[in-house]
Amino acid sequence: MKFKAFFTQDGMNLLDKRFLPALEKMGRICQVYLTPNHVMFLHGLYPEGGDGLQCVAQFGRDLLFRDYRISSQSDNQIAFAADVSLLHRALRSALTIHMQSQTDPNAAIQIKLVKKLPVGAQAPSPYLTFETKGLHAAVVQDVPISKPLSRADLLQLQSVLDSAQELPQTLVQVPDLSQLQSLVDRLKNVGDLLTVSITQYGDLHLQVSTSLVSVGSEFRKLRVLGVHVDPPAGHANLSASTRTQMAVQRGEALSVQLSMKHLVKSLQCHLAKPDCTFYGIAPQGACLTVIFQYFVPGTRVADKSISFYCRLPVLDQGSD
Amino acid sequence: MSASTGGGDDDDSPDLVCQLDCVQGMVDALSSVRWKRNQDAVIELSVHGIVLIVEESGCLQAKVYLKRELFISYDYGAEGRPRFGLSLGLLVDCLNIFSAPGNASVIEIQYPGPDMQLLLKSVGSPDSCLYAEIRTRIPDTISWDYHFEQAANTPLTFTVKSAILKEAIDDLDWPGSSIQIMMQPEPPVVTFRGEGHGDLQIEFPYYANTDLLIAFQCDRHISCRYKYKFLRATTSNFPSSVLKENRSSKVTIGRGGMLKIQHLVSVAKAVALNQYTDAQPSRIAYIEFFVKPEEDEIHS
Repeated sequence: MKFKAFFTQDGMNLLDKRFLPALEKMGRICQVYLTPNHVMFLHGLYPEGGDGLQCVAQFGRDLLFRDYRISSQSDNQIAFAADVSLLHRALRSALTIHMQSQTDPNAAIQIKLVKKLPVGAQAPSPYLTFETKGLHAAVVQDVPISKPLSRADLLQLQSVLDSAQELPQTLVQVPDLSQLQSLVDRLKNVGDLLTVSITQYGDLHLQVSTSLVSVGSEFRKLRVLGVHVDPPAGHANLSASTRTQMAVQRGEALSVQLSMKHLVKSLQCHLAKPDCTFYGIAPQGACLTVIFQYFVPGTRVADKSISFYCRLPVLDQGSD
Repeated sequence: MSASTGGGDDDDSPDLVCQLDCVQGMVDALSSVRWKRNQDAVIELSVHGIVLIVEESGCLQAKVYLKRELFISYDYGAEGRPRFGLSLGLLVDCLNIFSAPGNASVIEIQYPGPDMQLLLKSVGSPDSCLYAEIRTRIPDTISWDYHFEQAANTPLTFTVKSAILKEAIDDLDWPGSSIQIMMQPEPPVVTFRGEGHGDLQIEFPYYANTDLLIAFQCDRHISCRYKYKFLRATTSNFPSSVLKENRSSKVTIGRGGMLKIQHLVSVAKAVALNQYTDAQPSRIAYIEFFVKPEEDEIHS
């Protein structure tokens, strides 16, 4: 089992400034999944289930790395668990040294999988090593990782990933993620459970209800991807709750109940500064899918080399 | 369970529909009488405005007066004065949601809703809407509905900067449970004295520093004791605007030693704060606290 590669400049910046800060908020440990063509950071999938929230950040290998070499007996795939904050700390530290030697054309940060014998240990342990060669010094940092997944576990992980690929029929683009986060931060004082409804007209409705109070927010006429229908006449004069209930009854909306804690956590993904964000409810109300989209820099064209999404588990099917 | 004790609700029109353009000001005013997390409040509606009343242990009562002039529209349709109870904490938390940055729109307040709720909703943006429906209940009887009366022909009163009053009361936390407030005409001075774990005396001499006591009226010596926790509640939740705007508070000792403390809280949009502070007194919420004295002694 071998893996080594050099970070690209974009790769370093993307991980350091955007994705690792967001992934740190998802949980302490993430699964790093390397394939011949992709690099993935996974949270809450296989083998650890976490608290139910799943988060997947997938990159085309050439976006993050150059001279990417991987080989293993599991179809040249490797997956292991690592502490996200340690990964981030090692990368930041490597970047600091790298910045000091930018005049050197050969300066680069190499990452590789190694086995080393820790002091006082009987058996070697796996590490992800960051090697930075500056003008005056070379710095090596070893981040401890878990034992890489077996072939059977890798197959299982891939099948969990494949099952998470099903897209909602209707996705709505949320207007402003930081505004939504500010709203949800205040809604979380009201209750722990949240009902999210998404209509095919392009409406997103969030509601928190307790025995004493019901607080909600509705965003209408959002951009829709997928199944889109026009709202019925006279819809505009109704209250947000009534409108949503009617849409659910007509089969033109789905409604699910989520843990407020999960939504708050998923909103931390705004640290990865996506260009736009879509919310959708998976078929049969299986989960709330949040898809973050990135544009090719300087354009409005979706960057296919980055795929970043969260799946929030549903507590109860609110549409019944 | 919910109820309105006001009349005129045979038709479908609500008792009150009003709109407010400065939610943060209302949050500030209501927060200043929120001395603990879970607090029940009674709201009384009238043609003149909204009054919110909170009480504790029959010894402390606070009222927030939101005059109709504070609202950009105020449509009052009830006869009499409808009253309802709700959780002050919930009301403040809900209003806080509307005052989030980027949500500076006007809110509409309506009572009652279809199920006697208090309804709040943002207005102005056709494509996004924020709303809250707060359940109301039959209000508790106000066990101690005290009508404050002056102690004599000359009121016993002083006016002090709100920040100084707060600082003095905060400092009295050290001696603890019981605080004596004394006023005397010769020399004119107000004294706060705490005895408990130690003794602490804070004096506000009228002539010594004109910035300290802005007004002072007292024709005889008076001394009353109040529980520290009630006294503290009168200043502990001042919004920052009160301190920033250098507001004053008026303290009056009435018949039987009843203490009345009045504060002013700005309910103006932040950008227009300075303009409103002086020129538009109508953009002010009045806060009143009534504190009952400890029963052992009243010396006058």
